[in-house]
Amino acid sequence: MPRAKFQTLTEQMFYILLCLREECCGMDILDRVPSMTGGRVNVGSGTLYNLLEQFSGSGMIRETHVEGRKRSYLLTAKGREMLDKEYERIRIQAEDYRRYVGKE
Amino acid sequence: MKETKRRLEWFSIYDRTGMEKHLARMAEKGWLLDKIDSGGWRYRRTEPKKLIFSVCYFPKASAFDPGPSEEQETFYDFCQHTGWTLAAASAQLQVFYNERENPVPIDTDPVTEVDAIHRSVKRGALPSQLALLAICTLNAAMLVGRLVGDPIGVLSSPANLVVGICWVILFLLVAVEWGSYFLWHLKAVLAAEHGEFLDTHSHRSFQIGCLVVLAVVTVYFLAATFTSGNRLLMAVMALVLFLYVPAAFLLVFGIKGFMKRMKASAKTNLAVTLVGSIVLSLVIVGMITFGTLRAYNSGWFSRGGETYEYNGTTFTAYQDELPLMLEDLLDGSFDHYSRERHGEGSFLLAQYEMFQRPRYDAEGYRGLPDLEYTITVVKAPFLYGLCKDTLLHRYDYWNDDLPEELWHSYQPADPAPWDALEAYRWTTEFGPANWFLLCYESRIVEITFDSDWEITPAQMAVVAEKLGS
Repeated sequence: MPRAKFQTLTEQMFYILLCLREECCGMDILDRVPSMTGGRVNVGSGTLYNLLEQFSGSGMIRETHVEGRKRSYLLTAKGREMLDKEYERIRIQAEDYRRYVGKE
Repeated sequence: MKETKRRLEWFSIYDRTGMEKHLARMAEKGWLLDKIDSGGWRYRRTEPKKLIFSVCYFPKASAFDPGPSEEQETFYDFCQHTGWTLAAASAQLQVFYNERENPVPIDTDPVTEVDAIHRSVKRGALPSQLALLAICTLNAAMLVGRLVGDPIGVLSSPANLVVGICWVILFLLVAVEWGSYFLWHLKAVLAAEHGEFLDTHSHRSFQIGCLVVLAVVTVYFLAATFTSGNRLLMAVMALVLFLYVPAAFLLVFGIKGFMKRMKASAKTNLAVTLVGSIVLSLVIVGMITFGTLRAYNSGWFSRGGETYEYNGTTFTAYQDELPLMLEDLLDGSFDHYSRERHGEGSFLLAQYEMFQRPRYDAEGYRGLPDLEYTITVVKAPFLYGLCKDTLLHRYDYWNDDLPEELWHSYQPADPAPWDALEAYRWTTEFGPANWFLLCYESRIVEITFDSDWEITPAQMAVVAEKLGS
């Protein structure tokens, strides 16, 4: 069954939203995600374009500044809540791991 | 040395895998894609090099856009930032290449990629393709209906046969293309849920095979038309092929291109192209119809023949070649007769109706004998049984509301005098009539004589000799 939209975040979604804690434009995100993750995570330009559109459409980010074709975005309260929820989910997963695997 | 070249490429609209591999191979040979339009894909000569291609989809784009929208330009900026250069774009389809060795792909999330492809397909090709599928289905169903009702008429007419084959092939092409797409989409959505991209495939061999069959049947039809001697059909075909079809294409592309150059919005362009194409197509069809009718009335398509007046009406007497004539069966002169031959044949069947009737101005024409027969030539042996049954039972509907003792039907007769494999004689409540169905090895003859004609064994032998082989 298809996963409900934004019920959980993919790694790429997570890092895009994380970048948008502070105002930045699409190209900033393309550069920041690899540097934030030591090159482990890359976001493709098409994927970023589509996700920014979807996040914006669902009110998780908002457009803050338009300069020619350069558009800047910022996380909204809803987006922040989503990011926190995802962090909590990952944190609980990590704790579960430590609880069971850490004992071995 | 040519700096550019055009090719017609056969790819399914969603086959990004096939297109990417093909374009990389072309670049290695020194040909880089630089334009996709109604004339095909245009390549320009470059230094042969290894390039990585990415075919992706921009759902908001349209074939009627005057140029890339601002959103599309933003998308291009993102791609440029990661080393992807736009090679060409056509409606939603966007083709990029990258000279870096291991570039970050344009699509790194399969879910958004499948979603973009699906939205592009739904907005782009799918509506017109579904309309085409509906038209093909309707025409294929009509063909099947006609085939059931009049199999000999359909199968012996090159026009019916070719048009029928074309609709069936078009139906298969569209059904296979879109059936495959929906199957791929279903699998791709599931794969994307697991973070996987699913490769795409075209059905190039199938598509090319279908197009070869279409080309062969079209050539066959043209050859059959232009050797049939039917000047009316030849003229209409020539007008349709050399005037209507090119004009229709030019109209659609011309209006669309003009509106793009005028920087009209996609919606305005679509509306104007649609309305303009329909109106101008109707005008061309009207002109062809009017011209054909005028030419017909002026006698351009006349089969010749001698006209004569009788009781204030003009009739035409023909002198067509017939395989069996009254002269072969009876003594006497039959100068004041009209001999007509109608019919056509395909590679499966042929059916010809032939008449020899006295002219109305012949002395005592009501008392003169006449001859009428139909020859069905079965070129494809597997159709013999179908043809025989059709001819034997084609008037069964006459009996629908009659009691059994009044039924009219063919009853078995002795085939030996006719030198036939089987013979049947039309029988009514008044007894046997002078109407026979004679089955020979690869042809079936239906022949009618005057009711007062006593057919002799010698005349039957002549019929067998002239019509049986």
